[in-house]
Amino acid sequence: MDERTAEAAEATAPAVPAGPAAASAPPERKLTRPRDCVATGVSAGLAEHLAWPVWVVRAGFVVSNIAAGAGLMLYVWLWALTPWSPGEERPSRSAPVAWMLVAASTFFLAPVWLTQASGAGYVAPVASWLGPTLAGIGLAVAAGAWATFVDRSETARGPRHELVIRIAATVLLAVTTLTFVAVLGWSTSTAKTYGAAFIAFAALVGIALVYLPTLLAQWRELSDERTKRIREEQRSEIAAHLHDSVLQTLALIQNRAGATSEVARIARAQERELRDWLFAGDAPVDSDLGTDLRDFGAALEIDYAVTVDVVVVGEIRERASGELAAAAREAMLNAARHAGGEVSVYVESSREAVEVFVRDRGPGFSLAEVPGDRLGVRESIIGRMRRAGGSGSVAPGAGGVGTEVRLRFPAERAGNAGGIGGEVPRG
Amino acid sequence: MAERVRVVVVDDHSIFRSGLKADLDDTIEVVGEAHDVESAVRAVTDASPDVVLLDVHLPGAAVPAGTSGGAEVIRRAANTVPGTKFLALSVSDKAEDVVGVIRAGARGYITKGSSGADVSRAVHAVAGGDAVFSPKLAGFVLDAFGAAVGETAQASDELDRLSAREQEVMRLIARGYAYKEVASELFISTKTVETHVSAVLRKLQLSSRHELTAWANARRLL
Repeated sequence: MDERTAEAAEATAPAVPAGPAAASAPPERKLTRPRDCVATGVSAGLAEHLAWPVWVVRAGFVVSNIAAGAGLMLYVWLWALTPWSPGEERPSRSAPVAWMLVAASTFFLAPVWLTQASGAGYVAPVASWLGPTLAGIGLAVAAGAWATFVDRSETARGPRHELVIRIAATVLLAVTTLTFVAVLGWSTSTAKTYGAAFIAFAALVGIALVYLPTLLAQWRELSDERTKRIREEQRSEIAAHLHDSVLQTLALIQNRAGATSEVARIARAQERELRDWLFAGDAPVDSDLGTDLRDFGAALEIDYAVTVDVVVVGEIRERASGELAAAAREAMLNAARHAGGEVSVYVESSREAVEVFVRDRGPGFSLAEVPGDRLGVRESIIGRMRRAGGSGSVAPGAGGVGTEVRLRFPAERAGNAGGIGGEVPRG
Repeated sequence: MAERVRVVVVDDHSIFRSGLKADLDDTIEVVGEAHDVESAVRAVTDASPDVVLLDVHLPGAAVPAGTSGGAEVIRRAANTVPGTKFLALSVSDKAEDVVGVIRAGARGYITKGSSGADVSRAVHAVAGGDAVFSPKLAGFVLDAFGAAVGETAQASDELDRLSAREQEVMRLIARGYAYKEVASELFISTKTVETHVSAVLRKLQLSSRHELTAWANARRLL
């Protein structure tokens, strides 16, 4: 029944967008803040959204402050909830907001310092300086916070700017503290004493707030560092223990069970996995030919009764995606499938060429005996190498035991042709 | 092959020692066992065996940092028993383990996963004065002596590079060839192959190429 309903819904679905309502609806204009803005992008974003001139929006914000600061609240609300316009680049602000806050703070604090220092403060009532001083302190802290949280991510400003702002804010707050500590000395009334003590304390708290984010970040970094170190120590302890116990036991199992038995193969695969995990820290991240063939060998050991020994010599620039790697994997798979037992893989990268040798000790076979329509070895190993500009051969191993596949890839081609694979010119 | 070889087995795991003892063939007589550096030195000097099967990672009270317990045993015991050969047994074939113990004086190494027959063969080879090279060790030697970038020794007494012939032998061993197969491939006698391998082992022990230490530390051979 559900199915039928779904089908019905599907049948009617195409009709909906074609309806008149959908066609006449104006394209939705989302309220976003432009990334290249003056201070926060609220006014510009809103102006764009409403299709009004920007100055009208700005004036609206200022004027509506008459109603108990409604404009400011609306501004902050929009600022908090409006997303940036979609894009990748970091927002950049043309207005030096942090400096403006410092200037505003100075505007409030400087007169207070002057009156208090000149002795006019001796007669000035507490109410006349308490408000402006607190406003100045708040603005100084805001400047520090703005520099820390907003400006820092901007390439044009950055950490140096942050430091300068912070010093400016600190100077403002420190002078305020000192001024009011001095006021405490000649205070004549209890109200004045309490007021001065409160302001001096508030300014000190302000300084603390300016530096708090940095201190927190540093503390977090420190504890992260410690956690990491402890984890590292624990890890190496575990590694040492496992090395002494589990790896030895796995080796013993392999030793007792015979090299190609099921149990030995499982033990060997397990040992390899454990070793990879133990030493995961310094394994190269990008896969080159050597790593790739080693991994492939490990995978073969799980699927076939075979042990694959991969030896890598020289600096391997060859990538794992190349034709050489594909041919080598094919040869290894062949050896695992038809010969089994011990398979030796040797990769050497010299200045002239990258060479791969895959040797098994199985019954062996000669190319001539393989019918031409059997694509396996002829096509996927030798043909592939020849097309990619290298060469390959399949021959009986030394002393007529087993088979050895030899692959060779000249070095000047190894850089590009080996990597691209399919796009190599044929012939 | 018929002559009996007297060996001392040194490993800190008793289960491994007994397993190995059971697996070694009849021509090998185990004349002593030890489980740490101190007891190993004692057992080796007491029994003065032909070959010591020596675990690379061996606990001991006074093993200096940066070296393995196995290497320490060789350093302490080799002078008192000059006729004894050391064959390292390693759970891993990590270059720094293996090269460290070989440079201390071991005549070769074999991984612990090897079968009893393989270990027996290696013991006989070492007792007969040969070096035991695995494909991985051969690969390491080729890398460490700069064979891949075309460095070749000009004089036969040069310690820091391999001669062209030594490189050929090492390449074939790295490709999984047995000494006999190397000999037939290069049209030389097995004895000559063994001579080359011993010469390479000597270079590995005496050379001061910085790659030997730096390479081993920078890259962990799996």
